[in-house]
Amino acid sequence: MRYESIGQPFRSRELNDGEFVVISDSGDHIFLSSTEHEMLKSNPARISLELSAALRARFMLASAGPQNGISRLLESRIRARNITVSSGVSLHIIVPTLQCAHSCRYCQVSRSLTDIGHTISNEALILACESIFQSPVKNLTVEFQGGDPLVRFDLIQFAIDHIEKLNVSAARNIRFVVASTLHQLTTQMCEYFKKHDVFLSTSLDGPKDLHNKNRPTPGRDSYERTISGIGLARQHLGFDFVSALMTTTKASLHEPEAIVDEYVRLGFSDIFLRQLSLYGFAKKNQNFQGYSLEEFNVFYKRAFDRILEWNRRGTVLREVNASVILNKILSPFDAGYVDLQSPSGAGRGVLVYNYDGFIYPSDEARMLAEAGDKSLRLGPIGTSAAQFRTSELNKNLERAGTVANNDSCKPCAYNVYCAPNPVDSLAQHGDLNTPPEVTNHCNKQKWLFDFFFEQIQTKDQWYLDLMYSWSNAGSKRVRQ
Amino acid sequence: MRKIVAEFVGDITNSPYRIVSRRSLVSEWTPDICFAIKLDDLSQQDEISRLQEAGLGNVAGIISSDVYIGDVITSDTVPNRFNVVYREIDQHHSLFLTNRCNSHCLMCSQPPTAQDDSWLIEQARAIVRHIPGSPLKLGLTGGEPLLLGVSLRLLLEEIGAHHPSTKVEVLTNGRLFGSSSIADAVLLPSLNNVSWLVPIYGPADFIHDFVVQAPGAFDQTIAGLLNLQERGQPIQLRIVLIEPVLKALPELCTFIGRNLPFVREVALMACEPIGFALANRGHCEVDLLKWSETLEQSARILRRYNVPHLFMNTPLCSIPQSLWKHAHKSISDWKNVYAQECDSCEVKSDCSGLFAWHEKGWKPSTVRPINGVLV
Repeated sequence: MRYESIGQPFRSRELNDGEFVVISDSGDHIFLSSTEHEMLKSNPARISLELSAALRARFMLASAGPQNGISRLLESRIRARNITVSSGVSLHIIVPTLQCAHSCRYCQVSRSLTDIGHTISNEALILACESIFQSPVKNLTVEFQGGDPLVRFDLIQFAIDHIEKLNVSAARNIRFVVASTLHQLTTQMCEYFKKHDVFLSTSLDGPKDLHNKNRPTPGRDSYERTISGIGLARQHLGFDFVSALMTTTKASLHEPEAIVDEYVRLGFSDIFLRQLSLYGFAKKNQNFQGYSLEEFNVFYKRAFDRILEWNRRGTVLREVNASVILNKILSPFDAGYVDLQSPSGAGRGVLVYNYDGFIYPSDEARMLAEAGDKSLRLGPIGTSAAQFRTSELNKNLERAGTVANNDSCKPCAYNVYCAPNPVDSLAQHGDLNTPPEVTNHCNKQKWLFDFFFEQIQTKDQWYLDLMYSWSNAGSKRVRQ
Repeated sequence: MRKIVAEFVGDITNSPYRIVSRRSLVSEWTPDICFAIKLDDLSQQDEISRLQEAGLGNVAGIISSDVYIGDVITSDTVPNRFNVVYREIDQHHSLFLTNRCNSHCLMCSQPPTAQDDSWLIEQARAIVRHIPGSPLKLGLTGGEPLLLGVSLRLLLEEIGAHHPSTKVEVLTNGRLFGSSSIADAVLLPSLNNVSWLVPIYGPADFIHDFVVQAPGAFDQTIAGLLNLQERGQPIQLRIVLIEPVLKALPELCTFIGRNLPFVREVALMACEPIGFALANRGHCEVDLLKWSETLEQSARILRRYNVPHLFMNTPLCSIPQSLWKHAHKSISDWKNVYAQECDSCEVKSDCSGLFAWHEKGWKPSTVRPINGVLV
C-alpha cells in the first residue's frame, strides 16, 4: 500500500506574526510557518512524517491509499456544519407591535405608546402561530420582538397560549423568548412567564449614565426601570431566565471597561458586545451616531481584555461574538448562527412575522422595511413555506448568500465558516449582490476570525480551555 | 484464564460444566446443560452413579480444591486439567471467541493463529447457557470476533436470551464493520445491550496501520466506526500507550474530539507486556512517567471536547496525580499482582496494580510506594 501524501483543497491566510492559518474543507485548522505553508502548496509529498500526520488528521493531505472511511468522515463533517440551518427554520420571530416607551436615538423601528397603528392584527397573529409549525424542526425558538412587546402583553399571552394549544398534537420542543426593556414587567406577567418557561432578553448598554443617555425616556429613568425589571424577573423566573445584550454607541466607545464591569456587577454570565447596525432610523442619524469598524474593533479588544481579566479572577463571563466565532473554529458542532451560513440563514434558519402582516427573512429585513425598502417581503403572513421558498426573492437571497457564487468569497481563508449577508448588503449598499469585501459584514467577520485565530495561537492552556468552553465544542449533538 | 486440576466422578461429556452443590442442584437442574456436583472425596461416588443411572446423564461429580460453586469449567487438552471460564465472584468476566485475527498488532497480548477454531464460538454459546445468574458485564474477546460473522450475532442473541440484563462488551478492531453488509448482518436493530471496544492508534493511516501491521486498517476502522454510529451502537475507543502511539497521542485525541465525538468514552491503556509486545519490546516498552506531559495534554484535549476518558492498567505511581481520578482498576483478577514496593503504598487499594507477567516483561514505570498524599 502507498502512503505518500496527496494535496487536498485548503485556504490560508497570513496572520500578524507571519504564521499562516490553514483551513480545510472539514473546517479544521492548523498554524504553519511560511516554509511549511509553501511546501503544503507546492510539494506536499516532501512534508515531514510528523507534520503530515497532523495535516492528514485535518483533511489537508490525503494518503495515496484507500480513502473510503476517510472520505465518508469528511462528508459527515461538512454536512454537520450546515445541519442546523439545512434542517429547517428553527428561529421564529414575532413582532406584535412597534410601540415602545423609549425613543432611542439609534433605534431602527420603534414608535411611541400612543401610536397604535403599528400593531399586528388578530388574524395575522393567529396565522403566524400556525405558520411556525410548517417548519419540520423538532427544537423551535419563538421570540417576541418589538417595539417593546410587553406593551402588548395580551398579544404575547394570546400567541403563547395558541402555540401551546397547537403543540399538543405537533409535539415540538418550543423555547419562548421575549425581548423587552422590562419596564412594563409586572408580577402577574412573571407568573405567566414562569408557568410557560419563557426567557426574557433585555437591553442593557452599560452603567447608568451611558444607558440613560442611549435610551431616553420621558422620566430619564430607563436604567433604573430596566434594573428593577431584571430583579423582578430573576426573583420569579430564576437567574438563568434573564439575559441582556448591549448596543455600542459612539458614547460607549470610551468606556468598554465600565460596561463589562456593569455586567459583572449585575451577575450576568453572558455579554454581547454588539456593533450598532445602521438600519432604519440609525442610518439617517449616521453622522451623529456612527463610528467606523476600526473604532468598534478597538472598543471590542479593550472590552474583551477586561472580560478575560474577570475570567482569570474566577468570574464566569462569556462574550457572545467570541462564542459564535470560536464555535465555528473550535467545535465540530455548528451552533447554526444564521448570519454565518452558506447559503445565508436569512429565510432558511429564521423567519420574522411582522406587525405589518408580512413575513420577512430576518430581523434586519423588517427593519429595512421600516426605512422604506419593502423589497424583502417574502409574502403575507399565511403564505405557505413551499410558496415563498420557490419565490424569486428567496432564490435571489440564496444565490447572493452563497459562498460558491461569490468570486471574492471563494479564495477567502474563512469561507467554510462564513458567508455573504445579502440583507446587510441591501441595507448598506442598496444591492443584494454587493461585493462582500466592501461590506461591514465581511470586514467585521474577517477581523473577528483574524483576532480569534491569533488568540488561539496562545500557548496558555488555561486560556485555550476557556475558548474551548465558549465554543461549545463539548456540546453533544447527534451528527447525521 | 485459570487452569485447575480436578477429578471428575462418573461419565462426562464435552460440554462445559456448571459447578453446583448437592443442595443447589435441585433448584438449578434443567436438561439443557451439564452440572458437576462438588464432592469432598470419593466416598460420595455412589450417589453420582445413582443419579446417572436414574437418567440424569447431565450430572457428574467433581473433586477439586480449586473450584467454587457457580464456576463454569471446560476441559483442557491435558487430562485432569480444566479451565475455569467463568467465576461468579470475579470482577471481570470474558469469553474467548477465536484466536484468528486480521491484524497483527505490535503489542498483541494474544498472538493470533491461523487454524480453524470455530469450535470456540460454539463452546462460548454453550458456556453462556451454563453461566448461573447474570453477570453485570461480559466481555467478548479474541482474536477478531468479527471474523465469526453471523456466528457472532448468534452468540449475542444467545446472551440476550439467557442474560437480558448483562451488558456485553465486544473487543474488535472494527475493520470488517467498514463493510455495510457485515455491519447489517451482525448489528440487528434489536441489539441493545452491546458496546463495541475498538482500538485506534493514530491520527493518520500510516501510524495506525504500522501499529496494527495491516495496510488499509485505519481507513476500514474509520468506516466501521461510522457504521456503528449510524446504527446507534455505543463505542469505547481503546488506545494502547506504546511509543509510536504516544508520539502522536495529543494529535490523535484532537482527531477523536473533532471527528469521533460520538464515542461514549476513550480508554487509554498501558501495554500488557506479553505476546508480541515482548518481541517488539523496542516499540512497546515505555516508562510512562516520562510521558506525563503527553498524557496530561491528551486528557486536556479530550476534556475540551467533552469526551469521557479513562486510564487502564496504569498503576497510580506511573501517571501524574492529576490523572488519578481517571485511572481504573482494570486488570483481570487472575492476571493481577502487586510488587513488593506496593506493600507500603498508601493508595494501593485504589491502584490497578501490575500484570502478573511484568517480571518477564517490564513495568509501566518504576514502581514506588506513594505516601503522604494530599488529595
